[in-house]
Amino acid sequence: MTVAAVAGAERTLDVQGLSKSFPVPGASLLHRKMLRAVDDVTFALKQGTVTALVGESGSGKSTVARLISRLYTPTGGSILYRGEDVGAMHGKQELLQYRSRVQMIFQDPFSSLNPVKKVDYHVSRPLLIHRIVPKADVLDRVHELLHSVGLVPAEEIAKKYPHELSGGQRQRVAIARALAVEPEVILADEPTSMLDVSIRLGILNLIHDLKRERNIAFLYVTHDLASARYVADDVLVMYAGQIVEHGPTDEVLQRPMHPYTKLLLSAVPNPNAGLHSHRLAPRPKTDLAVDLVGCRFAERCPLAVASCVSDPPVLLERRPNHLVRCPIVDPST
Amino acid sequence: MSQIQPLDPVNVPAAPVELARVGGPEREGAGRRRFHLPGWLRLLLSNPKSRGGIIVLSAIIILAIIAPWIAHGNPNDFSLLDARQSPSFHHLFGTTDQGSDIFSQVMWGARTSLVLGAAAAALATVLATTLGILAAYSGGVVDDIINLITSVFLVIPTIPLLIVVSSYMHTRSGLTMVLILGLTLWGFEARILRGQALALRNRDFILSAKVAGEGTWRIIFGEFVPNMISRIAAAFVLVFYIAILTEAGLEFLGLGDMNHASWGVTMYWAQVNSSFLQGEWWPFLFPGIALAATVAALVFILAGVDEVSNPRLRKDRKRHGVFRSLFVGGRRAAPAVEEGK
Amino acid sequence: MNAALEDGTTAPAVARETLVELRELVVDYVLSGRSIRAVDHVNLSVGKGEIVGLAGESGCGKSTIANAIMQLLRAPAQVTSGEIRFRGEDLTKMSTEQLRQFRWSNVSMVFQSAMNSLNPLMRVGDQFVDMMKAHRKISKDDALARAATLMELVGMDRSHVRSYPHELSGGMRQRTVIAMALALGPELMIMDEPTTALDVVVQREILQRVQDLQQDLGFAVLFITHDLSLLVEFSDRIAIMYAGEIVESAASDVLFERPQHPYTVGLMSSFPPLSGPRERIVGIPGSPPDLAKPPAGCRFHTRCTHCDPASPALYRRQTTERPVLREVGPGHLVACHLTDER
Repeated sequence: MTVAAVAGAERTLDVQGLSKSFPVPGASLLHRKMLRAVDDVTFALKQGTVTALVGESGSGKSTVARLISRLYTPTGGSILYRGEDVGAMHGKQELLQYRSRVQMIFQDPFSSLNPVKKVDYHVSRPLLIHRIVPKADVLDRVHELLHSVGLVPAEEIAKKYPHELSGGQRQRVAIARALAVEPEVILADEPTSMLDVSIRLGILNLIHDLKRERNIAFLYVTHDLASARYVADDVLVMYAGQIVEHGPTDEVLQRPMHPYTKLLLSAVPNPNAGLHSHRLAPRPKTDLAVDLVGCRFAERCPLAVASCVSDPPVLLERRPNHLVRCPIVDPST
Repeated sequence: MSQIQPLDPVNVPAAPVELARVGGPEREGAGRRRFHLPGWLRLLLSNPKSRGGIIVLSAIIILAIIAPWIAHGNPNDFSLLDARQSPSFHHLFGTTDQGSDIFSQVMWGARTSLVLGAAAAALATVLATTLGILAAYSGGVVDDIINLITSVFLVIPTIPLLIVVSSYMHTRSGLTMVLILGLTLWGFEARILRGQALALRNRDFILSAKVAGEGTWRIIFGEFVPNMISRIAAAFVLVFYIAILTEAGLEFLGLGDMNHASWGVTMYWAQVNSSFLQGEWWPFLFPGIALAATVAALVFILAGVDEVSNPRLRKDRKRHGVFRSLFVGGRRAAPAVEEGK
Repeated sequence: MNAALEDGTTAPAVARETLVELRELVVDYVLSGRSIRAVDHVNLSVGKGEIVGLAGESGCGKSTIANAIMQLLRAPAQVTSGEIRFRGEDLTKMSTEQLRQFRWSNVSMVFQSAMNSLNPLMRVGDQFVDMMKAHRKISKDDALARAATLMELVGMDRSHVRSYPHELSGGMRQRTVIAMALALGPELMIMDEPTTALDVVVQREILQRVQDLQQDLGFAVLFITHDLSLLVEFSDRIAIMYAGEIVESAASDVLFERPQHPYTVGLMSSFPPLSGPRERIVGIPGSPPDLAKPPAGCRFHTRCTHCDPASPALYRRQTTERPVLREVGPGHLVACHLTDER
């Protein structure tokens, strides 16, 4: 798997300065605190590439996916689909059109399928809503789609209820459903984290093949660096709602610059070394809702200096194609 | 559309828990019977509890239908000579203080009560379901508006409302009754169903439907409702019960047609006349049993509704022909049917 | 008491006392007319102060074993045969009262989702008090004080004793549950996928803490997970389960360097590497078997790349005979026809 020629590929989805704040529940009426779940996120998705969005839970990565799929409305910034502002789409037809181009797969295979409906219902609904094929051909197309994601025998699986399938099978059904509309963009929100280890590879390989064969742009949201390395061409690392590092996969993961990326890399279980060789520093309490002025990682950062707390760091290209949000790291190391 | 070779053909494991086969030609043991019952009905009949409920309810409905043939005379005929008689051969359920035959009242009354109760419950349930789920799913302003409307209907005292309405409506008909009952009884269920829908709202399959492009109404009725059938059915039964009893009060206010007998009316007059204090138990007991039996039957059917609505709860029962099981009852220790391959 | 070597303890210089011993354990789920064998003649032991890892995917029976040790199995699950012994005593023969005492004081359990173990309506400290009072005569104040100490022990602020579970993050909740599991000083802590729902940094922090505590307090750990790479770092010994059976067990470093069973090899390769070339990995084809109708012979043969009709004698054995655990090295057991032939 070579690193895809990212620069030359077509830009389908442009996210610029995307922000989303939520009111903190339980705060008093007078003193409403806003949680900046996503703060000034900028990147692009390109046809035929997989872009990984990596971060801990609470980093805002899932929120980004939901913003792009219009399940949430941004509080700042914009999302452009082929140059058109997604936020400005209000007409039913426009929205439907967008939904037929941008699809989403969810994390939990157990709850992303309606438990009282069979598999053929799930895969046929998008076909019917978007009128992809005439009604008479719907069932055939459903079988084709199931077959194309590796669910065979398709006719039998189509008649099953979700609880009769394993987690990996359910996730494939979800992928088949997403493929039904022949989308250009698929947002995959932690699609493998709830699956068995030996099944994950199958899903990741499927994503890779779909990217190549159908030229789909994937956004792969995950907390697992290893799977991001396996399947992605580009990696974005998020922390506390902001992008802290961005670049081609091997660049970011083999030559990380941001201290948080280095922390993540050291935390991944590595059987080649004992636990003790990667002792993590104790974590101080962070409160993401507080309006931090400076770098949000400063509290946990081994390199932090006084200016880190007072001056908000900016995302800069410190090496070719490799951006990092940290002024004090040395790019030449 | 290019096809991707299946990377690792995924074997289909046999379902770990057998499902009751829903409909279809491969039903065993019923080879001789030709008609196919709908799947949900077969499931309800296979559960012993709901089977019992269906039997009792069917019996009551049949009695209501054949009332003209089994209960002679107008239930509202009165003859002071026969007043306050305890059950006898001539008056199976005794007579009221005015000499009306209670047996007739219960049989004829069944028609009114059943139809009225069902219609009012249906209206209230439809309103509660639609508005409750819509409020939960849409959130925001729509939720606020619907909550306001619900609160208004909940707060308005029923009786004064009825008095106001009765002074405006000049035709006293069953339809009026149904409308009033439905409109005053939907509120509390709407709250409850909204609560349940809120719990479902963030489930991924709802979000998936939205992302797939499903419209709001389709999501409400196609995704939410099938997952809430148990609670909706329970709402129906509860309103049914309350409607029948409330109807008696409405009759008293003059909103109903006094010529129609109903269980509620019979019980109401018995209460007003302090029959019980005088040792006359029959004006209470018989309509009371009728009502209780109906509601109990519905509640037992509810036990089976859970299985219909949630495929995961379907037990594997040894299947016999549906009618055989009705008469024989229970489960046979028959040779275990080999399910599956 | 000698350390039971039958299941692969590397014989240390000091013989370990056996805490828990499973002998030919068989657990079935009995549904009307059929039964599904979830655990099939498993032998496993955990010694004092040892960290034993039990690895396998969903449905392999590892959680069933955990529940069996805690005597938490409910119908339709039942122990059909075999023994579960704690310090030599047969747990299945204990009275309810003895079991109640046994649970939590001798062996405690940490589940995957802390929200399943914590009552959302009670403050965390109160839940500690409830639990401690159920097992010991202790005043509320003393119990609360101990709760605060335990919270500190697992790396949390004492003030969180007054928090409700929903006020804590996922990692903090899991630490709370671990603190509760340690409250009565058990000799064995069973952890069933304790960090699966947490992200990688929190996971490492928590496991580091558990390792430190384990060294200080000396309890044993039975760590159940599907994350084999985690086990290699964290445990002393590892047993791999597939379809209700143990297919391989060895000391962690031995298992990592010289895995013998094709399933173990496949499982290890299912973790994409963070360094080295980026190549396509196939992993293990197929999916876990249906326990109601497991494959004949070796249960893994339908997914095994070494099962090939081209070697007819071996193939016949693989498809008809169940392989038996055999020792292939000191403390290293494997159940595989292929390995037998070597």
